[in-house]
Amino acid sequence: MAGILVWAETHNNAIRKSTYEAATVGKLLGRPDDDMAAVLINDLDLAQSLGTLGFSKVYTLEGEIFNQYASEAYCEALAVAAEEMHADTIILGATSRGRDISGRLAARLDGVLISDITDIKTDADGIRFVRPMYSGKLLAEIRIDHQPAIITARPNVFASGEYDVIEADIAPLAITDISIKTQVNQALQAAKGVLDIGEADIIVSGGRGVGGPEGFKAIEDLAQALNAAIGASRAAVDSGWIPYKHQIGQTGKVVTPTLYIACGISGAIQHFAGMGSSRFIIAINNDPESPIMKKADFAIVGDLFKIIPVLKEEILKHRS
Amino acid sequence: MNIAVILKQVPDTEANVAADPTHPGKIVEDTLKFILNPYDEYAVEEALVIAEKSGGEVIGVCIGSDRAEWAIRTAMAMGIHRAVFITDPEAVESDIITQAKILASIIKTLDVSLILCGRSWIDLQEDALAPALGHFLNIAHVSNAGKIDVDCLKATVIRELDGGTLEVRVTLPAVISCSKELNEPRYPTLIAIKRSKNKEIKRVTLSDLGMTPGTPRSFVTDLQTPSSRGKGKIVTGDPADMVKEAVQWLSDEAKII
Repeated sequence: MAGILVWAETHNNAIRKSTYEAATVGKLLGRPDDDMAAVLINDLDLAQSLGTLGFSKVYTLEGEIFNQYASEAYCEALAVAAEEMHADTIILGATSRGRDISGRLAARLDGVLISDITDIKTDADGIRFVRPMYSGKLLAEIRIDHQPAIITARPNVFASGEYDVIEADIAPLAITDISIKTQVNQALQAAKGVLDIGEADIIVSGGRGVGGPEGFKAIEDLAQALNAAIGASRAAVDSGWIPYKHQIGQTGKVVTPTLYIACGISGAIQHFAGMGSSRFIIAINNDPESPIMKKADFAIVGDLFKIIPVLKEEILKHRS
Repeated sequence: MNIAVILKQVPDTEANVAADPTHPGKIVEDTLKFILNPYDEYAVEEALVIAEKSGGEVIGVCIGSDRAEWAIRTAMAMGIHRAVFITDPEAVESDIITQAKILASIIKTLDVSLILCGRSWIDLQEDALAPALGHFLNIAHVSNAGKIDVDCLKATVIRELDGGTLEVRVTLPAVISCSKELNEPRYPTLIAIKRSKNKEIKRVTLSDLGMTPGTPRSFVTDLQTPSSRGKGKIVTGDPADMVKEAVQWLSDEAKII
């Protein structure tokens, strides 16, 4: 078997950042340049542009069954491409779709799955994939002894890099003989600009100190100024101040943004487990002794309702 | 309608999980408190509610070492009727896809129309169970369900996707992974805890299932505590001054704005 296959995830007829990150992971495996192919589902007008990410070949599939997201169809499309090229490694971004497809794909291809990797180590001992476990309380190095390997890459970790520009060879494929047992009734898009917090580059997050649902207005204002997603601690979610999909921590989402702004969050071990690997952490809290203040890169002691509006204004001023 | 619920025992969320210096790739277990995977509680609750409405049994299925019996008893105290338990070390230590294959072969011996599991295993941080089970059982799967409505042959499920939601209708049997939005798990009553001690746990082995332990497909070669975050800057005083300093830091050090 040979070759790396990357899922070219698209959204609103554009290549998603997760695709660039997956291409970076492919490159880090250090194989010959012509060894990496992409699989593109619908949005076929984007096929040629994938050459700029260093893909020498782009497998394409299109059809009505892909118009709405049904995991069985997407899984089968990736499986068909992987079998066509005899891929030994299949890489997806660990986005909501990527996570959903990868488990089924690993089973379908009788492969081994390594989810949510944050690093790759290559030395005399071979290749090891690094991923968080126990909600980020530990980092595991994993060696694989089986092919194919299905790898998902944690969002925001692998920067999009310099890729060789190649004229991609386009190879249409089709899936046949599949009975999809999932029917999509309706898809409700997230409000404009609101990302899945798992993929957001900046997150502004509120906890018990926010005091109530109306307190989240201040968090939203700051998030809007920074084009950030909104997060929350378990305490805020359990109090019913904000929906669960915003919860960050061991029983919520695990995030790795470039910047995490924790407002009125004490920073219990379960919360830290969900955001401790953020690149930069700013904490705003009136208790200088709370655990988050000792772990933040920049800790502001004070009343968050006094600080957030000033912070928002200063950021807007700085930007203009 | 009979329902299978997959159960997993994991370290308590408050636990400080540490790498075992004498066994590379393992954690120190002696001092750890273990719990039923928090997301599995939502799966158990949902299964009980559906079974109460439709009539039928809820059957727990668990792969784990002997200590995981405690997690099964927890689910039994909540109300599940019986359980199937597999403790072969080769099964316990295998990767999540292999575990899904083993669980699928157990589920095939049960007469169930729905398989529920937690949205994620919080120890391995894996969401792959429901998708992999879907393949091995050749049925639909839905991940991360926030709402499930079951009628006789189908289920309508709302799941979170890309920050929005997707409503799907799946043919049963299907496997669905459960999120916190689904319900509020019940607390077992004392009498339920007492009764749970007499419920049946059927132990099966890989050889009972006609499965041979394959060679491990991946190995954890090392476990490290992530480097602790360096001591940051703490500012106090006037909000305007603190914010000025913070914005300066964002622009000069973090280079974000």
